[in-house]
Amino acid sequence: MAEASATFSESWYRVANLRISLRSSVAARRQTFRGERWIVLQNPLRNQYFRLRPAAYEFVARLRPDRTVEEVWKECLDRSPDDTPGQEAVIQLLAQLYHANLLQYDFPADAAQLFNRYQKARQRELQSRLLNIMFARFPLLDPDAFLARTLPWVGKLISLWGALIWLVVVGAGLKVVADHFPALRNQAQGIIDPGNLILLYAGLVLLKSAHEFGHAYFCRRFGGEVHAMGILLMVFTPIPYMDATSAWGFRERWKRVLVGAAGMIVELFFAAIAALVWANTGQGTLHGLAYNMMFIASVSTILFNLNPLLRFDGYYILSDLVGIPNLSQRANAQLRHAAERRLFGLKKEPPPAQTWSEAFWLSAYGIASGIYRIIVFGGILLIVADRFLLIGILMAAACAAAWVARPVIRLAGYLASSPKLERHRLRACFVTAILVLGTLGFLQFVPLPHHFRAPGILRSLEWGQVHNWTAGTVTRLVAQPGQLVEAGAPLLEMANRELDLEIMRVRAHRDEIRARQRQALQEAIPNLKPLESLLDAADQALRKLEADKAGLTVRATQTGIWVGRDLEMLAGSWLAKGAPLGLLVNPSGFRFEAIVRQEDVDRLFTQEFPGAEVRLHGQSGQVLQVSELEIIPGDRRNLPSAALGWLAGGPVATSPNDPDGTEAAEPFFEVHAKVLEPASAVLLHGRAGKIRFDLPGEPLLPLWIRSLRQLLQQRYQL
Amino acid sequence: MTSLGYQSVDFHRPKPALKGLDAIVDGWAGICRRRGRLLAAIQQQAEEIDALAPALQHLSDRHLQERLFEYREAFRRGNRERMNAVLLPAIAALREAADRQVGMRPFLVQLMGALALQRGCLAEMSTGEGKTLTASLVAVLWAWTRKPCHIITVNDYLVQRDAEWFGPLYRFCGIHAGFVTGAMPPDERRKAYGCDVTYATSKEVAADFLRDCLQVGLLRNPTRRLIRKLLQPELESQRPLVMRGLHGAIVDEADSILIDEAVTPLIISARQKNDILREAVQAAREIADSLRPPHDYTVSHRFREVEFTPEGTTRLESLCLPLPGIWRGPDRRVELAKQALVAREFYRLGKQYIVADGRVVIVDEFTGRPMPQRTWREGMHQAIEAKEGLEITDPNETIARISFQRYFRLYYRLAGMTGTAREAAGEFWHIYRLPVLGIPPHRPCIRTQYPDRMHPTDEAKWDAVLDEIVRVHSIGQPVLVGTRSVAASEILAARIAACGLEFKLLNAVRHQEEATIVAMAGERGRITIATNMAGRGTDIRLGHGVAQLGGLHVIATERHESRRVDRQLFGRSARQGDPGSAVAILSVQDEILRRFLPRPLHQQVCRAVSSCLPGAQWMARAALSAAQRNAQRAAAKLRRNVLRIDDWMDQSLSFGGSETGDMRMSAD
Repeated sequence: MAEASATFSESWYRVANLRISLRSSVAARRQTFRGERWIVLQNPLRNQYFRLRPAAYEFVARLRPDRTVEEVWKECLDRSPDDTPGQEAVIQLLAQLYHANLLQYDFPADAAQLFNRYQKARQRELQSRLLNIMFARFPLLDPDAFLARTLPWVGKLISLWGALIWLVVVGAGLKVVADHFPALRNQAQGIIDPGNLILLYAGLVLLKSAHEFGHAYFCRRFGGEVHAMGILLMVFTPIPYMDATSAWGFRERWKRVLVGAAGMIVELFFAAIAALVWANTGQGTLHGLAYNMMFIASVSTILFNLNPLLRFDGYYILSDLVGIPNLSQRANAQLRHAAERRLFGLKKEPPPAQTWSEAFWLSAYGIASGIYRIIVFGGILLIVADRFLLIGILMAAACAAAWVARPVIRLAGYLASSPKLERHRLRACFVTAILVLGTLGFLQFVPLPHHFRAPGILRSLEWGQVHNWTAGTVTRLVAQPGQLVEAGAPLLEMANRELDLEIMRVRAHRDEIRARQRQALQEAIPNLKPLESLLDAADQALRKLEADKAGLTVRATQTGIWVGRDLEMLAGSWLAKGAPLGLLVNPSGFRFEAIVRQEDVDRLFTQEFPGAEVRLHGQSGQVLQVSELEIIPGDRRNLPSAALGWLAGGPVATSPNDPDGTEAAEPFFEVHAKVLEPASAVLLHGRAGKIRFDLPGEPLLPLWIRSLRQLLQQRYQL
Repeated sequence: MTSLGYQSVDFHRPKPALKGLDAIVDGWAGICRRRGRLLAAIQQQAEEIDALAPALQHLSDRHLQERLFEYREAFRRGNRERMNAVLLPAIAALREAADRQVGMRPFLVQLMGALALQRGCLAEMSTGEGKTLTASLVAVLWAWTRKPCHIITVNDYLVQRDAEWFGPLYRFCGIHAGFVTGAMPPDERRKAYGCDVTYATSKEVAADFLRDCLQVGLLRNPTRRLIRKLLQPELESQRPLVMRGLHGAIVDEADSILIDEAVTPLIISARQKNDILREAVQAAREIADSLRPPHDYTVSHRFREVEFTPEGTTRLESLCLPLPGIWRGPDRRVELAKQALVAREFYRLGKQYIVADGRVVIVDEFTGRPMPQRTWREGMHQAIEAKEGLEITDPNETIARISFQRYFRLYYRLAGMTGTAREAAGEFWHIYRLPVLGIPPHRPCIRTQYPDRMHPTDEAKWDAVLDEIVRVHSIGQPVLVGTRSVAASEILAARIAACGLEFKLLNAVRHQEEATIVAMAGERGRITIATNMAGRGTDIRLGHGVAQLGGLHVIATERHESRRVDRQLFGRSARQGDPGSAVAILSVQDEILRRFLPRPLHQQVCRAVSSCLPGAQWMARAALSAAQRNAQRAAAKLRRNVLRIDDWMDQSLSFGGSETGDMRMSAD
């Protein structure tokens, strides 16, 4: 209906002579929202609420079965000519009261009409249930009698003493958690193991039951009634819920807030007890259950309940605290109003917010909750779809219907036939079309610079491991570690008594052969030949041994900085052959070896050389420029360094079967980038870091489509 | 009434109009109903009926009547199969009876029309094709089923004429026919509604229905009423009800009643003393006198509203300081002042209303007729009285109210006839579930339709109209000039008078002789000026020798918002195979273009026409039809909205007893 401000209405005759009044069971309470007075009417039978302005209530309260609407209206008009709602407004008000079942009238209602209404309500309920498939509610029973009977005992806890006990227990729980934090974190990794799911769910049901009873008892304690209890299918997980909406009728704000927070209060209390249990039990079911309860309480409280951006407890608490009921709807209305006013030029519409600050809060809330909602639901969707493909697709379809198709259809309907736009339709359609086309065009055609990052490791262009080629005892360190050494310069001296003895032995043996040679020359010429070959063999052995001996002095294979490890400790110790002694790193040039995922690599292949820059862990402020890129064609599995793998705390997933932690779980591509020498930074060989590839501009839409397809391909092999 | 039986007086409860996707799909269904083989099937049936004629011609009156009574039995039992079996012979017999009793033999196309009506369609039949006769045939069939049948025509004159004209036919067929006119007392009305067939105007039936609803009042349940009557006989002061429920209605000129007047509410009201309002409008007029545009307020002709400027608002505030309480609140103050300004800016003497006997009488914009019964909504009527300086009457307090749109949806069985329905076929289907069926004319139409002529200014237009009249008059051809408003007809009359030509002027102020003047408009050399719809439904017969001159020449001086009304005016000439011609002489300053074209476009058109660019005429015609489309769409939307709001009210205020709620009751 159009807004009603007219003093006189053509339809007045339909209500003028009625004798109606509010139902006798309707309770009215005064509430204050943002400094304005409102009257809240409550229908206790169906737990429905209706909010009125005082002026409207003035009128409604005067309605009596022995007077006609017209008489009452005239009386109101006499008393306060300016505040009294106009005839249009009265008609709408009465219609709304009738819809809220708050009116009493003295002749039989139109049965067909009532039945129609009931059916429509049912239809709407079903529709909203389908659209809100992630949070469908199914009421089952009425817990009020039970609550009333148990309240004398439980209600005692809802008091100052209860608060003290709560503080003590929660405090103790917090302390336990702080003390055992590392263990706590360790256990978190196994939380979604299939084996734990049953415990997780058991914990969830226990805790949520406690949560809901918390709402219910608090509500009952302050005089509200709780008439519905049932099952809420939260992301297809059945958990209990209770309907404590009668708290909305409370006059004091703190009571409403407390009922809203009751769930979390109780939940935290039980979580604290669970923490105590967890800390004082060994492995076992109880221990596991306690752990799960703690986990759920913290995650659900932070992510959902306390968070006002979704419509859970935190939302109602916030809306009560800031004094804006129906915060979410009004935030949306405010945003729409802003769009209508600024974009479509509807200057005459009254804004939903009365003050600037309210407008600000509403807009901020609307935007923040929209974004947050998309993130949370998107996340849930991905997690669910990961586990159950079919359900994931169904949910995605439901979400697409609720958040994409419906708004689009509504927008179209609004543009086509909203009476509000009557005079601005052309402009509205034009602006909307421009916005949509502009956005699409921007996404499709305007190339935006974008980049991606890949982990990797810094390496010298020339580097080499230093090994000793001969076993021996270290006698002297010739070159100090960290010193720049020329190729061939000695690094380390070793001694090997055995080798010396062996050389002496072989020499003696050679001397013997020579002696026998000379002897044979005189005595038996035919023996000369074999002796010669023996001598050759001895010579050879000697040469080898002497080479080995030379090898006792380890020399630099190349020019570079001599980086040894624990070399000082080595003096006097025995080194087996081929032990790694350290590295020789040429500091004149470095390159960055990056691990690029397969999804990203084609962007590198297909593009011209992109810009790139490297940041090393620990010195992120320092940006290293890169001069040339070399992509190693052909995928690889072995990481250049274990430091990049999961096992060593790096970013790349490694194969669980590989004890060294150098085999990546998925094949990757290696990209080498030559790092330009910076003026100030010290480059160290083997340092891990990230490289950022700045790709030439690409419009967003194709990029997103590609990402989505990659995601689908990767996750579902579609 | 003679029977004391438990007779239920009830009516159909229509479903709310469909919305959104449903409405679109339903619209397609309606198109399917209109197209397709229905017309072909009806034509074939009509030919079958025609083939039965020779066998009936030799029957004596008595035998013919016996036959008719046999058929009546079949219809009385209400057995659908038997009814269908005898339908064609029954119509054939009725045709024969009509020939003998009234002296009119239905043509083939009239039989087709009757078949279409029988199927609950809206038959589009050209004017002068004998729609009245067609309706009477179907009325007999419907009356035979023992359910009351209403035939709705446009005015009391036609009601009485038709009822008396076809009386012999009805009597011959064994049914009673009655009629209701405005001046009848309730007893006579009850007698008339007690007949099988009742002729009435839409206003009368709707008013009687409303009065009955009020009679029944709160006790709608028949059993409860009976109990109340038994328990408290002394309280029983009720007059008996007048109607017997809404069963079948055949609406003549359906487009005018069901579309043009659809949202006109029929109101039962009583005058209520309201001094506050009277004082308020007086004060409002005085305030309005001291406000001037554009300094104090801006005027939007497009949306017919005024808007205060900030200066105007402050001025208004200072003006209101010495006034009583009702002026103290800012909203109410602005509302009242705006009403006075709207009365001054948009309501024109001679166009929207005339002043007769010191009273403001509303002039119907469609027909140009004064409507003494009608008043504008709360306050506006008084504001206009204040503007004209007349004595301010007390406002009417509405007691019950129904729009024709809602009223006709209440009939179980609705059928209609009109000359022009095609343009609104979608709406007929959507709101009344009536598929429109175009019945071909009896003789092909040979009207010469000249293309519209566009002139840059009103002045040029009137000059051209005068030239055209003089030109045509000089050959002796009769001319009928249609104007949109009473004021326009007066302007033209003054010009023609200045030329010294003799003419007849037909407008709201002289409506008594309407029918006779229009009927004479076909005489040789006659010049008639009429508002668009004056004398609708009256045949213009050509005078002696006029056919050789080219028949009646119709000149339209302004296009109407609805194309149908244009067609009706043009349809005045070239009836039933006569020759005739029609032309529209227009100006780009006409209201329809100004109101329904986007302003930049309108300016372009004006510029093009006044500089006589090549193609300007063509462009102006295109712009005109665009404007007409816009206007029609806006009007249809308005009617749909009214229906939607009515539905909403019914649902939301059903605690007050839906005013057309369940009205089953016993009547004695």
